[in-house]
Amino acid sequence: MKISAQQYAKSLYDSVIDKNEKEVKAVLKNFVALLGRNRELNRADEIMAIFVESWNKAHGELSAELISARELGKVTRDMVVSYLQEKTGAKTVTLDETVDQKLIGGFVLKYDSKILDASLKTSLDELKNKISN
Amino acid sequence: MSTTKDFIIEQLKSEISGYKAEISEKSVGKVLKVSDGIALVSGLAEAMMSEILTFKTEKGEVAGVALNLEENQVGAIILGDCTTIKEGDEVQATKRILEVPVGEAMIGRVVNPLGEPMDGKGKIETTKFYPIEKIAPGVITRASVKEPVQTGIKAIDAMIPIGRGQRELIIGDRQLGKTAIAIDTIINQKGQNMKCIYVAIGQKESKIANIVAKLTEAGAMEYTTVVLAGASTSASLLYIAPYAGCAMAEYFCDKGEDVLVVYDDLSKHAVSYREISLLLRRPPGREAYPGDVFYLHSRLLERACKLNKDFGGGSITALPIIETQAGDLSAYIPTNVISITDGQIFLEPDLFYKGNRPAVNAGLSVSRVGSSAQIKAMKKVAGKMRLEAAQYRELAAFAQFGSDLDVDTKKKLDRGQRLYEIFKQDQYQPLSVEKQVLAYYALINGFMDNVPVEKVREFEAGLYKYADLNDAVLKQIVTKKEIDAEIEEMLKKLIDDYKATVDYLIK
Repeated sequence: MKISAQQYAKSLYDSVIDKNEKEVKAVLKNFVALLGRNRELNRADEIMAIFVESWNKAHGELSAELISARELGKVTRDMVVSYLQEKTGAKTVTLDETVDQKLIGGFVLKYDSKILDASLKTSLDELKNKISN
Repeated sequence: MSTTKDFIIEQLKSEISGYKAEISEKSVGKVLKVSDGIALVSGLAEAMMSEILTFKTEKGEVAGVALNLEENQVGAIILGDCTTIKEGDEVQATKRILEVPVGEAMIGRVVNPLGEPMDGKGKIETTKFYPIEKIAPGVITRASVKEPVQTGIKAIDAMIPIGRGQRELIIGDRQLGKTAIAIDTIINQKGQNMKCIYVAIGQKESKIANIVAKLTEAGAMEYTTVVLAGASTSASLLYIAPYAGCAMAEYFCDKGEDVLVVYDDLSKHAVSYREISLLLRRPPGREAYPGDVFYLHSRLLERACKLNKDFGGGSITALPIIETQAGDLSAYIPTNVISITDGQIFLEPDLFYKGNRPAVNAGLSVSRVGSSAQIKAMKKVAGKMRLEAAQYRELAAFAQFGSDLDVDTKKKLDRGQRLYEIFKQDQYQPLSVEKQVLAYYALINGFMDNVPVEKVREFEAGLYKYADLNDAVLKQIVTKKEIDAEIEEMLKKLIDDYKATVDYLIK
């Protein structure tokens, strides 16, 4: 019977939650041994990614990517964080910020499988399409 | 010159200042795998069934439809050129369920299943979009089928009458005249207050070009739309073509109008659905068709109906076409569609090659609406015709013993031969209902008994010409729609007068 990466990740999560450091170490040793027996060590990356996702969801942690045309000040950053907190109900938000001058102005916010495109470049493209039709 | 320049600048400024950028959240995913017109996409957790997805490729945007919603991925069919999509491309959900443009602008045009023009006559301006999938009207909203669809084909209008709101299947082997029946019906709808939609699924584009030329010549394009998904289009477009045609018909039906939709043909539609389902890894069933191939056709044909007055009183009449292999009516798809429709017109190769065209088999063909869809005049003269035609077929085997039969049988044979001669009809020559009534009246009341069998068609053609010159009778039939004593007298006189001018009668 094939065990999916999801099932591995969920069982790992269930076995390490609310355990102290010593117990977690023992569980992890057993888990890796299990993966080795089933010859599934090459799926470790996949399992870890799903584990991180379910952990974040359960603890209300959200990681998002923010691409802006210029460095953002604290006020703007806080607004984005509170927007995300309101939308997703996450308690803590980690923002991965990059600057891309090609956006001309505004920003692009990516989180979960959603995208919020508030860049000036996209608005200008849409205006161009609207006028030329 | 300067005023136009200033005017343009003013307009541009007001357009720009009035422009509000629409910024909203969009769901995105990534292409995991692309092959054979199917794409597997990760992400898109909130994708809806049959939602339109946009694939952002280097060469622009390609549309797709989400059909398989699984835990970790979404399976989508690609409605466009799938060669431009690469693994890793971004996919956006548009939050719109698959819909097509509909409206008056579609009339007279040849479009593809997405509503894009294919006839080179310019852009189609529409404001309304109708969803491709729709739940069929319920029992309470329907009314019974009472008005006729005059196909103009004698064999059908007399023996297997079709009503507005009925589904009548045209079934037969290849090259027997299935499309010809549909096209003649469309041509005969001129002046009958009907809109027509011809959906070509998997047909040769040359055949469709011929059909469009013929329809334009007959003036039928003034009320007809052609939805074309040719033989070289992808399976996804073939799959949605009939639903798109039905959506366009529903626009007119909702306005209270009558529409005729021809699906040519549903066998190729089932094959394209099988292709998509197998590529989406859905389990194959009988003949490798997916398990829901019945539902594929039933939900399409149930949308053809007659609505009652409270809902506009409009109707959609469906003429699906199915191609059988070697006359096998018991194959999977033919039996499915026969059980869904309100009757079938069965075309036989034997009759076709004997010269009886349209090659309608009166015994196996049936219309479950029957004579409630005939005007009273037609009901009176054609009531027993189907039975007589079927009985003649049975007796015809004895025709070789011509001299050894009793008088009654001989009379039946003579009448049957003339009946079959009358039913022969040339292509693209639909006949109006009043002329049909005239011919059948002459036949069943013995006026043609002394016309030699080989001269019956000549007699008939001459009778119509004569009636056109003295057209008082025809006009009466059109207005009163029934044969009362006065009209009967006029008919008798007309036929007797015509017979006096003819010289080949048997003494």
